[in-house]
Amino acid sequence: MIKPAEWQLALPLALAFASIFLAPLLMLVGVSFFNDDKISQPGLAQWAKFLGDPFSYKVIADTLLLGVKTVCATIVVGYPLALVYLDAPPRLQKVMIFVIVMPLLLSVVVRTFAWIVVLGREGVINQLLISLGIISEPLRLLQTELGLVISLTQIEMPLMLLPLISVMSRLDPNLRDASAALGASRWRTLFTVIVPLSMPGLVAGCLLVFASSTTAFISQTVIGGVRLIYLPLLIWQQSLVVFNWPFAAVVSITLLISVLTVVSALSWLGRRSGGYVHG
Amino acid sequence: MFSRRSLLAGATALGGASLLPTLAHAKGSVTAAIYPGTWEEAYRSIVVPALKKDSDVELELQPLFAVDQVAKVKAARGAPPFDAFVLDPGPRIMAIEAGLIEKFDGKKLMNASKLPAGFVDEWGVCVGAQVVGIAYNPKKVPAPKGWKDLFSEPWVSRLGLTGFQTTFGTVSLIEIAKVFGGSETNVEPAFVELKKVLPKIAAVGQPAAMAGLFQQGQCDVMYTNTQTVATLKGRGVDIEFVKPETGAVAFYTTLHITKGATEVANAYKYFDAAVSKGVQEALTKPPYNFIPANKDVVMPSYLPMKSLDEFNSFVLHDWAKINPLRAGWIEKFNKEMAK
Amino acid sequence: MGRRRSFVDLSYGVVIGTLATIALLIIVAPVVIVLTTSFTEGRSLKFPPTGFSLQWYEALFDPSKSRQIHRAALNSLEVAACSTAFGILLGSMAALGLARGRHRLGRVVDGFFMSPLVLPGLTFGLAALMYFTLIGFRPSLNLIIAGHMIVTVPFILRTTTASLSQLDPALNDSSQSLGASWLYTLRRVTLPLIAPGIFAGAFLAFMASIDNVPVSLFLSTARTDMLPIRMWGMMESTLDPRIAAVSGVLITAAFLLMLVMEWTVGLTRRMRE
Repeated sequence: MIKPAEWQLALPLALAFASIFLAPLLMLVGVSFFNDDKISQPGLAQWAKFLGDPFSYKVIADTLLLGVKTVCATIVVGYPLALVYLDAPPRLQKVMIFVIVMPLLLSVVVRTFAWIVVLGREGVINQLLISLGIISEPLRLLQTELGLVISLTQIEMPLMLLPLISVMSRLDPNLRDASAALGASRWRTLFTVIVPLSMPGLVAGCLLVFASSTTAFISQTVIGGVRLIYLPLLIWQQSLVVFNWPFAAVVSITLLISVLTVVSALSWLGRRSGGYVHG
Repeated sequence: MFSRRSLLAGATALGGASLLPTLAHAKGSVTAAIYPGTWEEAYRSIVVPALKKDSDVELELQPLFAVDQVAKVKAARGAPPFDAFVLDPGPRIMAIEAGLIEKFDGKKLMNASKLPAGFVDEWGVCVGAQVVGIAYNPKKVPAPKGWKDLFSEPWVSRLGLTGFQTTFGTVSLIEIAKVFGGSETNVEPAFVELKKVLPKIAAVGQPAAMAGLFQQGQCDVMYTNTQTVATLKGRGVDIEFVKPETGAVAFYTTLHITKGATEVANAYKYFDAAVSKGVQEALTKPPYNFIPANKDVVMPSYLPMKSLDEFNSFVLHDWAKINPLRAGWIEKFNKEMAK
Repeated sequence: MGRRRSFVDLSYGVVIGTLATIALLIIVAPVVIVLTTSFTEGRSLKFPPTGFSLQWYEALFDPSKSRQIHRAALNSLEVAACSTAFGILLGSMAALGLARGRHRLGRVVDGFFMSPLVLPGLTFGLAALMYFTLIGFRPSLNLIIAGHMIVTVPFILRTTTASLSQLDPALNDSSQSLGASWLYTLRRVTLPLIAPGIFAGAFLAFMASIDNVPVSLFLSTARTDMLPIRMWGMMESTLDPRIAAVSGVLITAAFLLMLVMEWTVGLTRRMRE
């Protein structure tokens, strides 16, 4: 039987990555070890400056927390939507898939405008609440973390739901019926049967959502405003406003490492749960 | 199997299409960066045909903000993606210091004599001016008199701020600092005042977001340039410009040749066309409202200047002094404004 | 007992239903706003729009008024199609290669393949431009395709890996123990089962490419103008309603594509019967 060793299948992508991604990345690492923006004096000054500033740690923590909050928000509303999808008749499922991917069809440029409309002082939510007499003064939603998380939830929803649904829809429907027949409530079936079996999709979704919300520069700055500071804003300022590329490299590498750490942990969880499902 | 093959075939066909020449053959060509929006529209509809007609040179424009232009040329190290920059004073000095601009020979510019003294220097040519002041929504708030008003009611709670990332943001914050006792190199008073009113301020935003925030009523007062006000007003936005009592800020916009440019001769032709009387006259008209650089052009009454001689009565800044401080200001702005 | 059961199940229905409704509202609200705004009679993006007209769609399709947008859109489509095609090929192969590996190295490689998602596009764009000009390339459409492939392939890899991890390894083994060749097993057993995963990833990758701002910003040239960058300029300086119309067109196109797929798939099913 002629069969390539499985790992060899990863070689073409690995080669592409090495030449298109790893090489620039290594150059970036190299650039971070220069003291000046002309990239002429090697040294650790930029690292020392970034890591010696307590403000940096606050920004790192805020960035990771933003990712966590977005992931939680996406699961809380997204997972139920996936469950509804699962129970829907096939025709409705097709419509739902279209609705679920709709945020991706909305360019980031107009999407930010739409959120200004929804969350703004004179926006849809405030006008609704005022006309219902629930509030008298407009709430501040735009340029707050709450507003930012809501808007990120929208664009991240497809990233959570597509992997989730592609895994869930291949679960044996008999499993649920069996669970119900054995007297389990729907809640119990959800947490003991459906959630564990959908774990690979859930983990994949979390991973994508976390990675993409922590680096979503345009949403973060336009909807969050510049008083909410996350690492991508620092990178933008350093690389495109003051042209201090060594410092931009330091911040980028920090972001890369801190987010990858979280992502690897999630990935490890995904592997464990994958193993668990198949014993 | 079928779908994969057709996909690849489709991809190949698309790839092949890109190799076909898309432009009619002209004697020569030049690629230039241009600010997105009004500048690009104006240059595309006025400068491109003029250059084609007069010199048979095809001008290709790439819309990029000043800082993005500098970043791209700097990253490309001697193989710039375009032949000509259009820059504000801040990025201009950064580009000069980083060695990204080719020396300019004013003698090669035929229209040089039509420009006021100082408009052509060893680095490039000035094609116009921008005037920065306060914009407000006349339906929501009364007209503020000056920078100081922005910090009191009713304006402060309707104020939209931007930081030191842009030229207009930087000069506005400097002017605010001056009103409260600061100077071109000391913006500390602006920070002190901002901190006092920070909870009241309606929005602290990314420059790119300001037009949308203003349009939707998130903020009703902001600082910006006259051209943006004219463009938005032309599109039906409720916006008016106010010249602050301490004076509006003016700065020049300049064209430069990138270091390592391949079409240097055609770049000179492009610059010549851009400052020629016909082009400059057309650029002053609505919806473009450019402030002209050519002395022969009569300044229309709707522009913020009566003549270029007036330029020196506007507030001017020395960017050679500002630039070294700006990185520090940006960092400070982050920390002071952070929630 | 029975009544408590039904009460618990009722609470399940209410909670899940409410949360799913909130999810739908969050998803749909911005889309509705953009679509409504795209039909404005006014001259700028504003919500609520004044009047109803199709003028911005007309302007968008007018070859003389919107030539630059058309050029940029074609470039963006070409880049998205090519980068996704390469991404599907390389990404699903890599997913197959890594899915069952229990090696520590495999995990490291997997993490490495995910890292473009995590590195801000701005940084990658800048670093890629520096690197490629250093080794003698000039920015071009091919370079943008390569760059987009790198930043979008993680989507394909992730969703494919997720479907693979669900695949019962026994299925492959039994197919092969029955004498089927490796390639036959791949084509007839593995691929059909993981196809939804690949498709989901490919869609994500395609849209991520269409909407990519930072990588294109650095790798594009005057000849390779890209759609989102052009739209960004229109939003910032002129609030041009055509950018809302662009989204209207994208959504309609996706809807039609879905109908066509439904029709063809339905057709094949009928033919098979």
